[in-house]
Amino acid sequence: MSDPLPRRRSGGVYTQVWDGYSLAERDRRWNAVRAAAANAGFDCIFVPLGNGVDARYLTQFRASCVVLPADGHPAIVITDRGSRNTWLPEPRLTSRQWAEPVAEALLDAGFEHARIGVAGLQGGTFAHVSSPQGVVSHSPFAYVLSQLPNARFEDATDVLGRVRYLKSAEEIACLRRAAAIARAGLDAFLEHASAEPAVLQARMLGRMLRLGSEYFPQSLSVSDEQVRADINAVWGTQIAQVVRTVGADDRRAREAFELGLEHMKPGIPFAQLVHAMSAFGAEPRLQGLGAGDDGPLLPGADDLSFEANTAFVWKPVAGGVSFGEPVLITAQGAEPLGVS
Amino acid sequence: MRAHAAEAGLDCVFVPLCVDGRNLNLSLEQAYGTRSDGRYLTQFENAAIVLPTDRRPPLAITEDGEGNEWLPEPRPANGRWGVAMAEALLGAGMERARIGVSGLRRGRVSHARATDGVVNHTAYAEVLRRLPDAILEDATDAVGFARFVKSEEEIACLRKGASIALAGIERMIETARPGLPSAELYAAVMERMLELGSAYYPLALFASPLGTPGPRFENPPPDLVLHEGDLITHETAAVWGGLIAQELQPILLGAIPEAWKPVVDLQREVFYAGLELMRPGTPLGELIDFVNGFGAKRGMRSLILMHGRGYGNDGPLLTPQDRGSPELRELRLQRGNAFVWKPIAYSADEQIEFSTGGSIVVTDMGGEQLVARELRLISSSPSVEREAR
Repeated sequence: MSDPLPRRRSGGVYTQVWDGYSLAERDRRWNAVRAAAANAGFDCIFVPLGNGVDARYLTQFRASCVVLPADGHPAIVITDRGSRNTWLPEPRLTSRQWAEPVAEALLDAGFEHARIGVAGLQGGTFAHVSSPQGVVSHSPFAYVLSQLPNARFEDATDVLGRVRYLKSAEEIACLRRAAAIARAGLDAFLEHASAEPAVLQARMLGRMLRLGSEYFPQSLSVSDEQVRADINAVWGTQIAQVVRTVGADDRRAREAFELGLEHMKPGIPFAQLVHAMSAFGAEPRLQGLGAGDDGPLLPGADDLSFEANTAFVWKPVAGGVSFGEPVLITAQGAEPLGVS
Repeated sequence: MRAHAAEAGLDCVFVPLCVDGRNLNLSLEQAYGTRSDGRYLTQFENAAIVLPTDRRPPLAITEDGEGNEWLPEPRPANGRWGVAMAEALLGAGMERARIGVSGLRRGRVSHARATDGVVNHTAYAEVLRRLPDAILEDATDAVGFARFVKSEEEIACLRKGASIALAGIERMIETARPGLPSAELYAAVMERMLELGSAYYPLALFASPLGTPGPRFENPPPDLVLHEGDLITHETAAVWGGLIAQELQPILLGAIPEAWKPVVDLQREVFYAGLELMRPGTPLGELIDFVNGFGAKRGMRSLILMHGRGYGNDGPLLTPQDRGSPELRELRLQRGNAFVWKPIAYSADEQIEFSTGGSIVVTDMGGEQLVARELRLISSSPSVEREAR
């Protein structure tokens, strides 16, 4: 019992995730978040345990907690044992214990009296849109609160989410590749639409995994006559979605899709798209695309306007049938990422 | 569970809204385990539940209020989980009660890797605000120990899951060859398990030259190609009925070196000897010491590696790094406990390490493999014999 433990040679705990963004991309993200935080009057942005999506956006690690000072001081990142990458060659490491090192990081950065913006405390307009109660894990966050009783912790989900909303050239390249993989998944769906749901799911996912997609849940709705698939592929953390229905006439939905593209130009209010769809007799369904649980959503965000370098899945519903494709908003207007 | 909770002086057991494991981005088991108590008690993918210990009916909450056979009329949260949970507790008369909360922190046999618990902060903070006179305390073990002993229905689900995982492994053996992109191998295994009806539970894959540790992938490895001499190790898990079964079968793309064969034999021996010992009443400490001392009798080393199996992030965790706390060592096996059992064997110089195994259930006769299969190191390469024992 007292002998030293053999070192493990295989297995191990370090889980490799895609981490191919450049250092320039890291600096772009960090600088943009810092500027947005300062503009909102926060001393730092804090990404606590539970908010893995924002943490991966800022670190390229699978799991981490992040303290990003608004004034340009170095970020402090706590991550899983064994993790390191080009963005963060020497992060602080932990082994299933997050509360103490995270509180320590905030104290080390001098934030005991600070105004701290917490990403993921609530659902936002641009991020964590399906989690109105936020995504933060209670016990470690309560511990942090107890260790910094004089700091003010406020929701900053959209401070970071707004930065995520605007895509860089690297992110757009990844989104294009994700869209191409989703298209391959669509091909598998159309080839096997009459198969049992489990087999259909297997063929779609199998096709996309072979092309290197990370897993993201698919949605299949099967009725007596129709099969609808919301097909999601991931490359470089960017999620692309296509929507098709087999067994239904989707011509009106396709027409609505094409019509909607004409209203997706920088500066045009979302409300104009909503109005156009209403006049056409279709329901507008629009959701931001990006690193996960992105916004904004239509219906809902009617008060926003389109901006260049944003991405959506545009999936209007006409006659009860949906047709959807990923769309990039460029300075010239909407660019579908591959309709057929 | 109600009886145990009542014995502990609790007025109810409360499973609150828990964080979404996919967003948590921690380990596979943690991802699947965050909302496991809710799944266990309701069969809803995401639910909160208040279970009074005085046998009044439970109050369940789901996002949209859509019911199932167990709970036809749950309360809808409509995005306001904190309010809905607080109102359920108040409606059950718990404003001054002693409330046992599952998932606030790691348990002995559930949420085993979640040191900091799994509860959603914002919703739970609302509950605390609305029930200032109630006493809320951790009761993770109240649910955990109920989950720890599997029913016949649950064992049947684990058995089915294990058979699907084995089918995935068979596909891996058929497919693996030098020159194949690892993403192809990954996809082939997942596709096989999905078509057999498993819910998606990512294959954990390692592929690297024999004796050289490589990273773990839980998605298709980008730009990685298999080579002659690679050792493919993996955790292949399938989900049936919400329960996760795991099987392991290392595959070597080449001939098995002579030095490995006694280590493989030792691993097989300790696996089956350990099964013999897994009878109801055996303290885990006895099992740990037996396994950790087994290899020395053969001039080598062996260490325990065994995790609970069930709805996700099950415990206890018996790992090589952990010789077991006194509390853990005193825990006794019970009929119906399920584990993934994969002890590790080492050569005398510790340069060779080998582990394989799979899902087992504790019976009156000892541990029983949920799918019958031999333990070995598969040698798979066009240039060598197909397999070696």
